[in-house]
This record gives sequence, C-alpha cells and structure tokens, in this order.
Amino acid sequence: LHFHFSWFCFVCQRRGQFHSLHTCSPPALPVGRITALQALEFWKKHFEESGVTEPDLSSHYIVAHSLGGKTVQQRKLTEFLSREKTEQIWKLCTKRLSRMPVQYVIQEWDFRDLTLTMRPPVFIPRPETEELVELVLTDLKNKPSSGDTVQTCLEVGCGSGAVSLSLLSSCPQLQVVALDRSQEAVELTKENASRLKLQDRIQIHHLDFMTEADEACSRCSPVSVLVSNPPYLFSDDVKTLEPEILRFEDPFALDGGSDGLTVIKQILTVAPKILSDRGGIYLEVDPRHPPLIQQWVEANVAELRYVETRPDINSRPRFCVLQKKQRELDVK
Amino acid sequence: MALLLSSFRSVFSVTCLWVRTGSPICPSLLTPLSPPGFSLVCAAGKKQLADLTELNEEELEEQFVRGTGPGGQATNKTNNCVVLKHIPTGIVVKCHQTRSVDINRKRARDILREKLDIEFKGKDSQVVKLKAESVLKKQEKKKKSRDNLERKKQFKRSLVTDSTEKNNIV
Repeated sequence: LHFHFSWFCFVCQRRGQFHSLHTCSPPALPVGRITALQALEFWKKHFEESGVTEPDLSSHYIVAHSLGGKTVQQRKLTEFLSREKTEQIWKLCTKRLSRMPVQYVIQEWDFRDLTLTMRPPVFIPRPETEELVELVLTDLKNKPSSGDTVQTCLEVGCGSGAVSLSLLSSCPQLQVVALDRSQEAVELTKENASRLKLQDRIQIHHLDFMTEADEACSRCSPVSVLVSNPPYLFSDDVKTLEPEILRFEDPFALDGGSDGLTVIKQILTVAPKILSDRGGIYLEVDPRHPPLIQQWVEANVAELRYVETRPDINSRPRFCVLQKKQRELDVK
Repeated sequence: MALLLSSFRSVFSVTCLWVRTGSPICPSLLTPLSPPGFSLVCAAGKKQLADLTELNEEELEEQFVRGTGPGGQATNKTNNCVVLKHIPTGIVVKCHQTRSVDINRKRARDILREKLDIEFKGKDSQVVKLKAESVLKKQEKKKKSRDNLERKKQFKRSLVTDSTEKNNIV
C-alpha cells in the first residue's frame, strides 16, 4: 500500500514526502485523514522495518484497542479515523517501538474468559497457564463435597490475579488467598478483583513466600488447593530473554535460581503445613523439571505424593500435580 | 494409539514451525462481515450445538504455535492461534478469534463439530437445516414487508381516487 500524502515532520519542521530517516524519533503523524486499514498497514510495515516482533499482530491489537474492540472488525477498515484516534494509535504504537509488550501498551489482556488490566512490571499471564486453571477446576468439580462446602485455595505469586480470579469466576463455592512479594502485583490483583466484582471472595497479601512462609501459613490454613506459577526459569536463561520480557517484566517473577527450582522447592516444603489432608498442589514448571521434582519430593517431603505430570498445549511436560498424603493411611 | 498420536503430534508440530517462519499459517484476525460458511457458534444457543455429534479427542490433533524453545515464562507472544485437525477426515480448523488460547480451543472444537456435522449428514445436517430455516425466515420477512408496502400504496391510491370523485361531484 503506497500513500503519497504529505507529512509534517515535527523533527525537521518540514512538510514533504514521507521520510523515515529519523531513527531516533518516532514516525510523524499523518497530515490528512487516514483509514484504519492505512494505519494498520503503516504500522505493520514500520514495526517490520524496526525489528519489532509480531509486527502484524502488534499493529492489529493496538489499532483494535484504539477503536474500542479486541479485534478489528472488517467493516471498520475503510472508515476514516478521527484526529484523536490517529494520535492515540500513533502514541501507542510508538510505545511498541520500544519493544514494550502489546499487553502493557494497551494495558489489558484476556485470560480465559476474563479481561484483566495489565501494568508493568507485573508479570503478563502466559497462554500455557490457562491450562493450569483447567486442571484445578476439573479436580475441584470432581471432589465429592464440591456441591455444598466452601473450599479455599492458596495462590503463591498471584501477579495480575489471572489464576485466582479465573478460579473464582468459574467456581462460586471457592475462596482464595493470594500472595505476592511485589507490591505492584498485590495492587493490580486487587484492582482486577474489584473490577470483576470478585473482591469478596479473595484476600490478597503482600508477602514473600521465601522469607515469610510462617506468616503466609497463619493467613490461610488449611486449604484444599495450592496453586502456583512460580518463577521457574534458570538464572542463566533469564539473560537471553527477548527485550519484551527483559526490559519490562519483573525479574523476580521469572528467575527460579540456578536450576529454576528455588521457589518450587520452598512451596513443596511448606505445603504440608498449609494443606488439608488429600489437598492438591498444582504447579506450572519448566519442561525439564517434572522428573527432578518427583525425585526430590520422594526423597525430601514424606507428607507429599507425586500424582502426575500433565502436558501443555504444545505437548511439553508443564504441570506437576501432587497431593498431601492422608496421615497414617496413605503409605505409598 | 496414544503413542501413535504423540509421534504424529511431533511430526505435525515440526511442520507447523516450518510453515510459521514463512507466511502466517493462521488467517487474518479480522472479524469478517459474515463468517465464511454459516456458523452456529455465534448465532445459536447451546441447545442446538448439543445436537451435533460429540468430538473424540483421540481423533484430534491440536497445534498451537509458540515457537521453538521451552515456551511458558520464557516467551511473551500475542499469537494464540489454534489449529485443530480431525485425523479421520483431514478437516482442519484454525481459530484466532479471541485473545485467549483456551477460548480459541473451545471455539475451534465447536466449529469442527459443525463442519463434521455437514460432512457426515449432508443435507440432513443440523447446521444445513438451521441455515435453510434462517434463509426461509428472511425470505418470509421480505415478502411480508413487500406486501405491507403494496397495501399502503393501494390505500394511498384509493384515497386519491376518492378525493377526485368527490371533487367531480358538484
């Protein structure tokens, strides 16, 4: 798509043919009116030229958001954009040029059937984690007492609140206690909880599970479910992450130590104190972890039984399910 | 069977990754003016969908492109396209309608069920019948509004002739 209308460049104060030679300044606003399609095509091309990943999707989601939707409606493509809308698109797309994740640019993203506010540096939920919620929900619904009793769940490292709020939304009998060591995460979870009107069934605490586990135990025992997507990346791998993650997301939400197991081991060590008998643990982990975790638990945490490993949508071993043994009865 | 399926999956995933580096394997995100082929998913309620045959997960192969590497926390991508293949018939459904993978997976399955219904039942398929019903309803509506318009015109004409008659009576 070629468009030859003139641009006013704020940098060199010249009106003339479009020139993108100013590498340190973002693209100038178009002078005349353009259509949504032209904005889409322009930014897709500009992202490509600037080495921004997912140029077509980035452009699409930002333009869609500016037009008030989640995806762009075909019939809106030929509509001319107002000055305001054009400026907004330019402003947001310029942020994307700095490799800011789309979710932070538009300040929202979807997780299962929920739309959540997103804000740096709070960790952006990954699609794999939607599967973690499914696992927990399936087991919750299969529990014999699921119909009447109130069940409590503990989430360690709630981030934006995606997992906790998703569970609450799908399970009316559930109460949740959510923890995060990041103040920003705690605030964002509270904000999302209020917006989704789930604040009455969730308690959110600013606690570091590594150093304040006892405090955490006192806030919630006993729970029938412990769920976590703890930082599980290997420290060495963190250094090679894409700019979207390195520049904008909280490293504490990612780094699990040299073997990625630091926080996982702490969770499994403390779990027996928090869980009721036969309570379940659901963890998202690195694909290399499951056999290591199984071995480690069998050697170090007698009260827990390793139940199974479940794959993610790409068939990678991703989820570990464990259970607190019923005292004196469960021998194996 | 599960072993065959998992090896099938790995073959399929390699193919998908290779295809991904070229042109996008998923259709445009754009919400179309009218969905290609009649889709019950948006229009109908759960009751109608429930009449379609259930899917057997063993016969399905699902692919979600997250690229090479471990995925999970190590990657932040907005691509959540789901590709669902029905192995016995070779029918492939791609869904990129929403920003949630989970919902795209569910919708892909709903769309696949509709396609299988058409495939197996032909003109007896629920989907085809409902579409025919909907087309018929639209035709009836159009006919009704045309008839109404015609009646109004008739009435107006009769008013004019009445008044001219009156004028002629001196």
